[in-house]
Amino acid sequence: MEKVIIIRYAELHLKGKNRGWFERVFVVNMEKSLKGIKHEIRRHSGRYLIENFQEKDTETILERLKKVFGIHSYSVALKVSSDMDAIFKASDEVCSKSGTFKVETHRADKTFPLNSMQISAEIGGRLLDKNKEISVDVHSPQFVINIDLRENNTALVFNEFFKGAGGMPVGTSGKGLLLISGGIDSPVAGHMIAKRGMSIECIHFHSYPYTNMQAKEKVIELAKQLSAYSCGTKLNIVSVTHIQEEIHKKCNGDYMVTLLRRFMMRIAEKIALNCGAQCLITGESLAQVASQTVEGMTSSNSVIEKLPVLRPLCGFDKDEIIERSRAIGTYETSIEPYEDCCTVFLPRHPVTRPKLADVEAEEAKLNVNMLVDEALNSLEIVTL
Amino acid sequence: MIYLDNAATSRPDAECLKTAEKYLLSEFYNPSALYAGGYNLHLELKQVRRNILSLIADDVNFSLVFTSCGTEADNQALFGGGRRGNVVTTLGEHSAVFSAANELKQRGIEVRFANLNCDGSVNAEHLLSLIDDKTSLVSVIHVNNETGAINDIIKIAEKVKQKNKYALFHSDGVQAFGKIPFRFTKNFDLYSVSAHKLGGIKGCGALIKRKNLVIKPYIFGGGQEAGLRSGTENVFGIKCFELAALKRYKSIEENYNFVSKLNFELRASLDKSLFTILSPENGSPYILTVAAAGVRGETILHEADDAGLIIGTGSACSSNEKKRYSRVILACGIDESSADGVLRISFSPENTLEEVKTAAEILNRIVKNRRDIMA
Repeated sequence: MEKVIIIRYAELHLKGKNRGWFERVFVVNMEKSLKGIKHEIRRHSGRYLIENFQEKDTETILERLKKVFGIHSYSVALKVSSDMDAIFKASDEVCSKSGTFKVETHRADKTFPLNSMQISAEIGGRLLDKNKEISVDVHSPQFVINIDLRENNTALVFNEFFKGAGGMPVGTSGKGLLLISGGIDSPVAGHMIAKRGMSIECIHFHSYPYTNMQAKEKVIELAKQLSAYSCGTKLNIVSVTHIQEEIHKKCNGDYMVTLLRRFMMRIAEKIALNCGAQCLITGESLAQVASQTVEGMTSSNSVIEKLPVLRPLCGFDKDEIIERSRAIGTYETSIEPYEDCCTVFLPRHPVTRPKLADVEAEEAKLNVNMLVDEALNSLEIVTL
Repeated sequence: MIYLDNAATSRPDAECLKTAEKYLLSEFYNPSALYAGGYNLHLELKQVRRNILSLIADDVNFSLVFTSCGTEADNQALFGGGRRGNVVTTLGEHSAVFSAANELKQRGIEVRFANLNCDGSVNAEHLLSLIDDKTSLVSVIHVNNETGAINDIIKIAEKVKQKNKYALFHSDGVQAFGKIPFRFTKNFDLYSVSAHKLGGIKGCGALIKRKNLVIKPYIFGGGQEAGLRSGTENVFGIKCFELAALKRYKSIEENYNFVSKLNFELRASLDKSLFTILSPENGSPYILTVAAAGVRGETILHEADDAGLIIGTGSACSSNEKKRYSRVILACGIDESSADGVLRISFSPENTLEEVKTAAEILNRIVKNRRDIMA
């Protein structure tokens, strides 16, 4: 009797001729997440089995699999040869000591002498004989014993389904550049897009010496937490100090955030094109703060030349975002009280509905290309 | 690199570390152990306790309890001493006392805070007016860690006892010990000190207490430190503390005069159109707090750091709190635009006049430049 983990994948079975490629990426991602742990991943018609791992690693493996996109659900199972005595032994092992139960059998091996109903009845009967504390309830049992008879003369017996992260394997939907600020929203936005199979690279803007090293460290930590989901990411760090100083000196202060965002978009697009990212991702949520109005988005979008900008959080409320942030484990880091660059020169009355013509008139006071190039020169890359 | 953040922590004295090294390598025994090695350490610690104590108090009436830091000593004093009635303290306390006092409030003890004068020292009249016959503990910081203002705790303690002779008097002496020459009077009950502010290492502090005073411990265990502070003693840290303290006290007057010179030099060299001096002239020479209105202190700190000068903003222990402005600086009546640009420059006798001159040049240059950008 060997302990194995059954992995069922999410949407992959909907894929057609290119399904093989999706599956290969999926396996590579699982292998990456289980790096350092002894195991073997084998494909078994429509599912994967993780085998040959040590008992003590089970919890770690389950914990890491939680973060692999593309997994619909997984179970810890006992693998036995497909004869009734062995199946009963395994069923007895996973059976609770008391409560109501039922046995569900899935018979892929049609050569097995009993059909699935007969197997369920037989195993259920033997379990009842052995333990007087349990009883059968086929409609709403407290636990279910699942028996899965495979073609290769093996049976898998398990009693629990864990929900996986869902989505598509990271790397099957291209690559995006996430603008990460250190707040609650941007990691959630990155997570949502990674879930749909996109690999994520991050970019962070700082204003040292107006912001401190702790703020940067916090962003590195957040990017690391995200990288656990998206299989290895890179963080680009760019200084916008001089840009903020120039805006402060030459432009109407109320446009600080609006103008700064345009600079960030320009820089991000350049870096994205350079690193092969096919879109920009931001954590903007409609109407959340002064700059996240549709007019603000128009203003920042208008400087983007080639790439789409994905804003997955647009329709979310703050509390919904916080809930997701807690679920993915970035919340505690996000709320550390270090300022990001946006708050340093914060105007008292930021424009909330900037008109593009006004924004462009303000921006004309600056040497945009020079400032962008200068910022790009400050690029620092952190490998996570 | 010029280091002028000695009020946050000071460079450990290399000579003391070398001498105390044997307590890590060969004399590593547990001082509570019964064999000779352990017992000898026990005897040695007894002597160390007396040695440190005798620097500021007589060992007939006072005793010393080693703790893991100044904060722990403060907490022990507050939670041990403030057990009933009301507790009176000041708005100028270090967070170690201030937050502990707020916790006492949560636990149902009435806590009263005395106002500050504009230099950060306590308004003694207001403090005394808060004391009544129900007051169980009065805690007044000796040297304000943010402005360097010295509270005349000898006089204050005397008046406190005149008003209520049963009230315990505690003072946080972390920024005073080894720096400000003074001796205990009979009116003192509790006094907190820390090792790493005067050349010792982090992780070691002490609470000095009147001998016949019984207070309840707040760490329980094996009953070390006469039952007041259980836990195996940090022998190495304690020995470093002793050696560094003895060394500092040997030349405390010379140090005081020398550091006063450094302080005077920096006061004179900082451009008065850029900086407002917040520290009082009669305060501790070891701390000089200034405000550069309109420029954020942290920005100056980072730029100075890049230029080879390390200074502090407000109190290092509170700089990652959510609140942007120091509560102590605001309690002094400084407006928010100045409170934003507060810098704490703190000296040690190891600094030189040249370093201070260079520091002034760096600070003048940075702030002038920032002012031009932010104007």
